[in-house]
Amino acid sequence: MRKLLLPLALMVTLATAGEQFAMSDADRAMYKEMLENNPADIFVEEGGELFEKLGDEKALAKFLGISEKELPKYIAGFPRYIKKLGNVVGLDQVLQAMQVEQGKKKTKLKSTEMFSMLAYVKSLANDEQITIDINADKHIKASYELGKKRFETPRGGRGLSCLSCHSADIVGQILRTQPLPDLGKAGSGATWPAYRMTKSSLRTLQRRFQGCMNNALMKVIPIGSKEMVGLEVYISTLAQKEKQPIAIPGLKR
Amino acid sequence: MAEKRRAMIKIKPKKFKVGDIVKVDFIAIHPMDTGMQKDKKTGEIKPAHYIDSITFSFDGKPFTTMKIWESVSRNPYFSVNYKVTGKGKITVDYTDNQGEKNSKSKKVKPKG
Amino acid sequence: MERRKFIQGIFATSAVVAMAVPSTLLAEEAKKEATKKGPNDMSFEEALKTITNGKGAKESDKIELKVPEIAENGAVVPVKVNVDHPMEEKNYVKAIHVLNKGNGNARCADVMLTPANGKGYFATRVKLSKTQEVVALVELSDGTFIQTAKSVKVTIGGCG
Repeated sequence: MRKLLLPLALMVTLATAGEQFAMSDADRAMYKEMLENNPADIFVEEGGELFEKLGDEKALAKFLGISEKELPKYIAGFPRYIKKLGNVVGLDQVLQAMQVEQGKKKTKLKSTEMFSMLAYVKSLANDEQITIDINADKHIKASYELGKKRFETPRGGRGLSCLSCHSADIVGQILRTQPLPDLGKAGSGATWPAYRMTKSSLRTLQRRFQGCMNNALMKVIPIGSKEMVGLEVYISTLAQKEKQPIAIPGLKR
Repeated sequence: MAEKRRAMIKIKPKKFKVGDIVKVDFIAIHPMDTGMQKDKKTGEIKPAHYIDSITFSFDGKPFTTMKIWESVSRNPYFSVNYKVTGKGKITVDYTDNQGEKNSKSKKVKPKG
Repeated sequence: MERRKFIQGIFATSAVVAMAVPSTLLAEEAKKEATKKGPNDMSFEEALKTITNGKGAKESDKIELKVPEIAENGAVVPVKVNVDHPMEEKNYVKAIHVLNKGNGNARCADVMLTPANGKGYFATRVKLSKTQEVVALVELSDGTFIQTAKSVKVTIGGCG
């Protein structure tokens, strides 16, 4: 096990003033209530309309070679290896492939339309447990390993890795006034795509990774790349371990 | 240029009778720009663009009017109560400071 | 390799200094943003005077104002107002005004209610430029005004 070596610089900015910024129960209840009226619901509805143009659940099930009934639990297992595409992919890449198959114009993975569509399709699996099986085949296993490696390997201007801020040792400490969460317990893999309040828009998990990378002075990796998909697989398994059910759209800072 | 604005009305709880007081939630997709922020892409100041007036009506009869200011969050949320008088339709008409007018309706179907 | 590590080291440190900017400096920047003049700018005192026609408003515990103690972010701060007062034909909550004491424009929303509402209730989400008080100013049908205020701590920071 590699010993966690925090760059001295980072240690300076971390504070253990957990009390100061910890959320009170009353505040937590107020923010939880906001989920009932999440502006993202409207974007998810829009995504549903775009999805309808692709043929809805019927077309998706057909593309994946499963029955419509199996769809929710199958969706809960993404990203997964799709033989037809020869890669471990996210739902957004499947939707893109369907567009290509239907002779339609490809929607960019990093676009509000795709974020909305992805959110709608993933929401079909709401309340389900994440069902990623990292031993299902060699492809998903490799994707998981790649994601985990990316998570743990320092790179970029500050010599940080995702682990620098998101390891079990760091959870609860404060960075730039925000208590660092346990990504598994926070159910990140199950609650993104989400409405980001500071951006007032619907964002996906991989898009959030990009924001994080930008802030940590790491070169931003493209959405849909092997590494990003691997990261999503890895982060999703963290939520899976904590048995966090899928709840789309989420609401995040 | 008026874009068709998206909005959503939710009535809670889902099941109610005549005489019950329900919660009417309204969310609209709208920038609610204060007129003091720069567009990140162009560097130009984005002109103020925010919902400034809302009317809630039941079957054409207004029961709540609001004057809204630019301090309200983007993609704003507004919630009031309504005492159910019978079957009908709640309509939310909203205008913004640039003159855009929009409307959203939701049927009210009390049980019993 | 040594030289590159050294430069990276400097970059890392300076970048961290930028990252570790004390909250007071960030608050200064936010203050600058907040003190820019907007077309609707009005102080709380002025707004209170305007809305109450100079009458002012007494503090009342009949107004339940719910806001977070610490707002996760200043862009979307939930506000909930409940007034313990009848909503009858001749005796009802006529208006709920949500105001703030720290933005350029103290006014957030002026909500005119009617007995048809059934309850004196209003909720919304507001933008707060910094730590400040949110005020619920209520007008009753008999022409009297009551108010209550709560402070919201707005954290400036977070990872983008």
